[in-house]
Amino acid sequence: MSEVVKLQLIGLCVVGLGTVILPFIKGQFIRVLGFVAIVLGLFSLVALAVPQMASLPPAEESINIADIKTPTDMATIGQKIFFSKGQCALCHSIGPSESARCPDLKGIGAKLSREFIFESLTEPQAYLYLDYRHEGIPKEYPARMPYINKNPIGLSKNEILSVIAFLQQMSGEPISVSPAELDLPRATPAPVKAADAGTLAVAQAR
Amino acid sequence: MKNQGPSVTNHGRHIAGRVALLAGCAAVLGWIGMPDMALAQDAAAAQAPTAYRDIPYIGSRNLVWIIAQLHLLLAGFVLGVPIFAWLCEIVGWKSGDKRYDKVAKEFTKLLTSSYATTALFGGILLFLLIGFYPKLMAYLTDIFFPSFLVYCCLFLVETATLYLYWYGWDAMAEGNGKKFHIFLGFLLNVFAFFIMIVPNSWATFQSSPVVISEGSDFARAWAATWNPTWWPVNIHRLIANVVLGGYICGAYAGIRYLSARSQEERYHYDWMGYVGNFIGVFGLLPLPFAGYWLMREIYQYNQQMGITLMGGFLSWLFILQAMLIGVLFLGSNYYFWLGITHRIPGSEGQYRKPIMAMLIILLLCLGVWMTPHSLVASLEEAQKMGGTHHPLLGVFGVMSAKMTVSNLMVLVTFMSFIMYWRAGKEDTAGWARAAKALMGGVLGLAAIAVIVLGVWGYFVPAIIRINYFSTSQVGIVIFVMLTITPLTALLLKSAKTTTEMVWGKMPPRAGYALVLNAVMVILLMTLMGYARSSSRVHWHVYGVMRDSSPYAFSPALGYAAALMALNTFLFCMLVAFIFWVATMGDKAKAAASSKGSVEPGTIPAMAGGSPALDGPEAPVTEIDAPERKRPV
Repeated sequence: MSEVVKLQLIGLCVVGLGTVILPFIKGQFIRVLGFVAIVLGLFSLVALAVPQMASLPPAEESINIADIKTPTDMATIGQKIFFSKGQCALCHSIGPSESARCPDLKGIGAKLSREFIFESLTEPQAYLYLDYRHEGIPKEYPARMPYINKNPIGLSKNEILSVIAFLQQMSGEPISVSPAELDLPRATPAPVKAADAGTLAVAQAR
Repeated sequence: MKNQGPSVTNHGRHIAGRVALLAGCAAVLGWIGMPDMALAQDAAAAQAPTAYRDIPYIGSRNLVWIIAQLHLLLAGFVLGVPIFAWLCEIVGWKSGDKRYDKVAKEFTKLLTSSYATTALFGGILLFLLIGFYPKLMAYLTDIFFPSFLVYCCLFLVETATLYLYWYGWDAMAEGNGKKFHIFLGFLLNVFAFFIMIVPNSWATFQSSPVVISEGSDFARAWAATWNPTWWPVNIHRLIANVVLGGYICGAYAGIRYLSARSQEERYHYDWMGYVGNFIGVFGLLPLPFAGYWLMREIYQYNQQMGITLMGGFLSWLFILQAMLIGVLFLGSNYYFWLGITHRIPGSEGQYRKPIMAMLIILLLCLGVWMTPHSLVASLEEAQKMGGTHHPLLGVFGVMSAKMTVSNLMVLVTFMSFIMYWRAGKEDTAGWARAAKALMGGVLGLAAIAVIVLGVWGYFVPAIIRINYFSTSQVGIVIFVMLTITPLTALLLKSAKTTTEMVWGKMPPRAGYALVLNAVMVILLMTLMGYARSSSRVHWHVYGVMRDSSPYAFSPALGYAAALMALNTFLFCMLVAFIFWVATMGDKAKAAASSKGSVEPGTIPAMAGGSPALDGPEAPVTEIDAPERKRPV
């Protein structure tokens, strides 16, 4: 007997017994309780009558450096990291998007060198925009980009290089990173306490 | 009765003392638990970290599901009731109608025991989460620890304010004291609001996380708190709590009305049922708009999450939601209609036709709302239809149709209320005719505009429909409410009462309608909790921390609905227990009064009335006066 059939039987028992017994009960509170049980039983039966679809998680993938033979392999892994662990797609889009909170990355691999991209990911405050539209000292605009190699995202060098490979590939550029540059695998650093984090950059979530 | 008074008071204090002790223990345990989380993180770094633990038979997820659901429902109750009580107190203060003050006090009395129970379940939930999901809790603690501290502080000030509000009720009953008491009620609700939105930030961060840059602990916590779905959920839950508070008050009144033995009790609980239903409907009308805003933000944040909810494996959930909301709308309207036909003698014939018209519109709208986008069909049937979309009914299965009918249902319910409000009154103002023509015109045009936009929505891209058409439909309905409500109020100011409203004449099915409404609201909350949680699919924190436990799958609707029904039943039992405990002293008081010098039946069997106020010098004559005041 399947789980659905068992639950349907329970629901039917609650509704059926409730309907039969309730007219003979005189205590108002018990009557109301029985009424509630019947309503809940009916709700369960309706829910059991619609298509039963469960959402199963996809198989977890682990990256094995030994399997990475070509720059295209790196780009494939980089794409996965871009949309998952790297959390890049939380803010950036590839192509115009109304909901993107940060710059569109379409073609970014063609506009920026791999060194600049690497630095942007690991030292986002290295270059600051300056506002000269007023007199005196120009106003600084700190980047809203988080440090990708530090917690909570904490991508390793290998993972960052893979993301760069993906950015270059989707921009139609030749991939300039090679599997030979990858380090031996190492464990992802454990999350650090908030108190251990740096002090200068102010979080800008949106 | 005078002799009974102190013992009842002592009894009440004794219970309140225990309640306070329980709440204190829960708070202390919670407090102690938080450093534990940080310690667990240190230990995890040193040893092989334990990501999950399980419990035999019931399973960790089911246990957390039940406890979290009960905690959330109780939290909704204890946050909704102060809003309800405070509103009633203000109405009572402004109108001078002591019934409102008494009902406000009656419900505030429940808060002390409800708070303790909520805190108790919160404490259990915290321990279970730390035990079953140490890795996730360490992650969330790392981000949100400062807001944990804020949460604890809020609990302290909320508890202190609640004690002042409850125990100071009689001491601050008149003059400036009353004003200060109402201010305390305001503070109580402000703190309660913040108590709600702080944990909302943790839950919404799990659904719509944002990237957190480096910074101070507070800066990081604040960045994570201010995530895209935080405010939509805050507003949605705030309104939903008002609805829950109102309908639970209605259900309580319904049960007491069914078991009432005297006419006074019937009168009182009939009136209380009316107030509860009114406040429930008052909250229910804007709730779909808040829900729409939330869904829009979810789509904006992550289209895939939106698709999972509305078009993916959860799409059938929204058919169930439509069914529950439909029953709720029908139940609320039915109660209004029963009120018109039973409380206003001679009005049955006059209102039969409009009631029938409204019922038909509501049923048609419900039919459209419940039409699934794709049908469950055999291969043969699907081939005949040319797919899983029915050639005719398939048209009603899309968002454009559903948005249209939901707006129409809100309009009908609003008009039901206006009809009830105006029943038994005759306009005397010279401009009444013009005003009624204007209201009729606004309503008619609004209904046409909503339908036209709905049909037009089929022929434009989805983004245009979502951003402009649906929002315009909502705007039109809000405009109708904002136009007709003040106009009706102005008209009724000078209106003449032709038929006095008679309380205590409702049939028993009215009591059951009130109970049904409350059950529907609770079920809706459990259903949408499952939707919100399942929309994260196999992620603890969407797109950031994957759920790699054996429970990473989202169960099918049938299984989930069985758990929702169980949770709803358990919650109803808990609330019944709380009501029973809170009114225990009043039953003893009522029994003593029936033996004492006071005539039987002169004091309604109400909870919360102190001996001082319920004594012979108390303003019970206000309730028992032959001229019943109409509710505002």
